[in-house]
Amino acid sequence: MSGPPPPRTTLKDEVRRALESLAATPTTASGVTSDLSIDEELNLHSIGWEPVALVSGVSLHSIPFGYWNWGQGEIVAASSAFATAFTNATARLVREAGSAGGHGVVGVHIEQTVHSTHVEVTLVGTAVRPVDPGARLGRSVFASDLSGRDFTMLMVAGWEPLGLATGASFVFAPRRSMGTVLQQQSQNVELTNFTEAMYSAREAAMQRMQEAALEMQGTGVVDVKVMEGPMSFAKHAVGFIALGTVVRLAKESHQSIHPTTVVSLNDASVAFDAQSLG
Amino acid sequence: MADTPRDLPEAATRRFADGSFSSGLSVADFAACLDMGLEPVGLVQGFCAMQWGAFTMSGMGPGLNPFSGTQGGYVQNYQCPHGMVSNEHRSWGQNYQQNWIEDAWRTGFNNAYSRMMQEAQALGAHGVIGVIDSENPLADTGVVEFHLRGTAVTLRDLQAPSETPWSTFLAGQRLAKIFEAGYVPVSIVTSVASVRVWAYCVTEYLMEGTGGLFSNYGGAAEIVQVVDAQNTVRDLVRSRVRSSLHGDALHGAHLEVSVREFAKGDLELQSRLSGNRVRRFKDFDPLPVARPTVRLS
Repeated sequence: MSGPPPPRTTLKDEVRRALESLAATPTTASGVTSDLSIDEELNLHSIGWEPVALVSGVSLHSIPFGYWNWGQGEIVAASSAFATAFTNATARLVREAGSAGGHGVVGVHIEQTVHSTHVEVTLVGTAVRPVDPGARLGRSVFASDLSGRDFTMLMVAGWEPLGLATGASFVFAPRRSMGTVLQQQSQNVELTNFTEAMYSAREAAMQRMQEAALEMQGTGVVDVKVMEGPMSFAKHAVGFIALGTVVRLAKESHQSIHPTTVVSLNDASVAFDAQSLG
Repeated sequence: MADTPRDLPEAATRRFADGSFSSGLSVADFAACLDMGLEPVGLVQGFCAMQWGAFTMSGMGPGLNPFSGTQGGYVQNYQCPHGMVSNEHRSWGQNYQQNWIEDAWRTGFNNAYSRMMQEAQALGAHGVIGVIDSENPLADTGVVEFHLRGTAVTLRDLQAPSETPWSTFLAGQRLAKIFEAGYVPVSIVTSVASVRVWAYCVTEYLMEGTGGLFSNYGGAAEIVQVVDAQNTVRDLVRSRVRSSLHGDALHGAHLEVSVREFAKGDLELQSRLSGNRVRRFKDFDPLPVARPTVRLS
């Protein structure tokens, strides 16, 4: 026979208890650092994970002078500089996370800048691990740009992140002949040299990202971000960068999360509209 | 934080005694604050205008020769691999920590913080919530104004605080969730680290894109000196913050790095890490897995 449920403590009681505890000597020492919001931390906690440490990884890789303005096809030096910088930054990030006892890094903020002479990649995120030592993973540390919330939903759905995958390609848009320039000057016309260059960059970048995912034994890449367009410092070069989190099914099958449909009773219109008073 | 300077203006003391309260909280945060049993007692502020002194000789020591130290801080040397001697060829380079900049920043921030907390103490506050901090240059004089402000709060019927009040950047719902999650705020934490990069020839060539001519790296390579500086400036600030936590946790951390470039490869990197120092006062209550919803509107 179960007794009556214990009385629910109110928020005021919790706050009082918390503040009174400040006078006592702290009993636990964690030293955890985290850039997650409290919502993200609570989400992680709901699936038995916890933050461990704020970690980062940086890499800069040079691009030799003169590659951006003349030539044809892909600007291989730039594409490979981006790939190496991203790989090195990720390696440093996961090494730091591993040293801190993390099993993965979530919410990775990715800053990547392509200059005419070098590429810079900066990654910052929070290393996380399962609270229960028995549940800790027996594989390499993963990195993911999914937020704490998205990571939680992914795990609940029976999937797991494996790492960050990226693909980048920078391609020349061949210069038109003088005759073509004069002929097209007063026309509304598609510049196929730029369209084709963008398609070429897109295909190469997406292919590289996909290959990176397969290397990690992943079955797909989620939350793919795409950055594309002309390079500000090179009129005839276009770039395409794709990156996302590699995932695979961790359970036998996908677990449906059965979202609950809710209807908000809040009035969708503005609660108080001064203009209606007139 | 530094010792509290006893320099609360007399006018502020009179204003605090007037009996009405002021608050920097939004209405929603104000309502949440009352719901937690916290009562705002005043908008408290602290200022400090800090002059960044000229680079003293002690500061310029590093960077002038490859054998100088940096007052016990980080220093790393890079030697030219080419064996060339020329006025135009940088035969060595150095990364070093700029302790004097960090010290000046810390003094300015801590003075402003202490003054804000002193105002809170004068109001009998238990804590300061919703702290906002800013640094603004005053004209073009090398002077930086540190400004911190927050809302001092008391908890009804709780004994008057004998020590410095607690502080947090959080307010409203997010503060309530911190308590619900089993944490109690201790103080805001902010720190900076500064690293200067004097490029040597290889770094200069790689940053200029002319690495193929002189670098011995086949034209493209990772720019190791700058990578070392970028990673170190982040390590230094995180390590400094960790040492100030005394076993507590840093929550909601925000790490940012700014870079000033004087010439190709000659850089000044400054990292700043801030967040809320929190202490666990109870274990996490068991939480159900969050239930996803689809909102119809």
